[in-house]
Amino acid sequence: MQTLDAKSVAGLFPRFADRFEKEREALIELDSKVGDSDLGLTMAKAFRAASDAVGALDAPDLATQMKTAGAAIAKAAPSTMGTLMATGFLRGSKALDGAAALDVAGLASFWDAYANGVAMRGKAALGDKTVLDVLDPIARCFKAEAEKGAPLEVACEAAAKAADEALEATKLLVAQHGKAAAFQEKSRGLQDAGGTVACILADELNGFMKAAAAS
Amino acid sequence: MKKFLNKPEDFVDEMLEGIYRAHPEVTFTDGDMRCFVTAKPVPGKVGIVTGGGSGHLPLFLGYVGKNMLDGAGVGGVFQSPSSDQLLNVTKYVDQGAGVLYLYGNYTGDIMNFDMAGELAELDDIETATVVGNDDVASSVVGEEHKRRGVAGIFFLYKVAGAAAAQMKPLAEVKRLTEKAKSQVRTMGVALSPCIVPEVGKPSFQIGDDEMEIGMGIHGEPGISRKALEPVDAVVEEMASKIFAEQSYEKGDEVAILMNGLGATPLEELYIAYRRLGQLLDEKEVKIRHVWLGEFATSMEMAGFSISIMKLDDELEPLVAAEVDTPFFKHFAG
Repeated sequence: MQTLDAKSVAGLFPRFADRFEKEREALIELDSKVGDSDLGLTMAKAFRAASDAVGALDAPDLATQMKTAGAAIAKAAPSTMGTLMATGFLRGSKALDGAAALDVAGLASFWDAYANGVAMRGKAALGDKTVLDVLDPIARCFKAEAEKGAPLEVACEAAAKAADEALEATKLLVAQHGKAAAFQEKSRGLQDAGGTVACILADELNGFMKAAAAS
Repeated sequence: MKKFLNKPEDFVDEMLEGIYRAHPEVTFTDGDMRCFVTAKPVPGKVGIVTGGGSGHLPLFLGYVGKNMLDGAGVGGVFQSPSSDQLLNVTKYVDQGAGVLYLYGNYTGDIMNFDMAGELAELDDIETATVVGNDDVASSVVGEEHKRRGVAGIFFLYKVAGAAAAQMKPLAEVKRLTEKAKSQVRTMGVALSPCIVPEVGKPSFQIGDDEMEIGMGIHGEPGISRKALEPVDAVVEEMASKIFAEQSYEKGDEVAILMNGLGATPLEELYIAYRRLGQLLDEKEVKIRHVWLGEFATSMEMAGFSISIMKLDDELEPLVAAEVDTPFFKHFAG
């Protein structure tokens, strides 16, 4: 499958919402080790709001879907992570401006804009043990898959795998930002909570694309 | 903790209820008391929006009023307001001429104001940003972008508010505010900590006989902690840090803000001002305006800050312009 129409892409948002609902307790547990334990709650709220807002639109194009999701997340989840995810979707929306259907090149520019937006707003660099350490490998993977001309489901599977490996690699890093930074060396060995969110996005995108390709 | 409170978690909202009862010239939008706005927006004027954590009255919301600010996002104690609250304030305040965001240099505030600006753009509202960073103690020359914003933002509010009241366009309001920012320097000193109601204990420890020069308004570390000295020596040390940054020569004109942090009596502020005035006299610098009192506090923290703004022919009339807000009134003439 080389392209997916905008109407079908909208089906991704209810999947994100259901998945973060399921992951709520696990994320709370992960975040409680070095954060303030609210990540599971805010992400569940954020993606439910995004799903509701996109679902209320009448035949939106790709950019409108992503923009609407971003604005809904900003409103529903005023935490740092919520603001970063909102920024990602808003910037990603600009990257998809004018696109009638989703393809791998579109996903590459979406995730590149997403990761850059998060880096800029969060003032984070690679290696700081943040969500960026998973978002950047996702973006780079899609770029490589686009250059290879890979079909959507193949590219999404590769990106999910790249995200998984990147998340595992965050365990070796020491936190530099947010409340986790106060724990410094103690954060080494722990999987990054923000990175886990990015990994879930990539994994759910993979599951979604597999199902779409099969139908 | 010894405070006049009901429940600590109601501290901010009950404070706001009191303010709205006392001052009908301000109100809130979107059904959210923390979206604080003027009741009388001026059609066609550039809106000035500020915001930040609670616990600093009169900062930030206290300067919403005639010829000063149009709205403020109100956060929890020492916490940023959300981007959504700032967006709602922005939408109310915008009168078609755009909105200037003017607030202090703190990570959470920057993130939420930037986000609000990006969301406002989706609603075709133009925004521009000036971030106050007047605290000389918080980073060295050349690293000014790391400096915290403290009491000196008062002068920026005055300049931005006066420029907007003259119906200048957004780009010009921003230019003048940036110019004012380049001319304002602040140094603070603290004697005792403050207590965040929901935390219930002091934010830091300091000896009965000690002071901390350069401490931030949330208790951020300053330049030096040492035995308390006579106030003349304290003022000399603070002023010398400001004088080292900019030239203050014979014939220069300045405006002064002597700001109490919450628990320091006016008597002591005047004693401190006496010495500052002497130092500027020695330099033959002319003091055009002096404001002395509580402008940017840290609840019950004892201490004060000195802000000096250098004036020129463009900035002086803006600083001198009349304003009328619930917490600050200035009648020219």
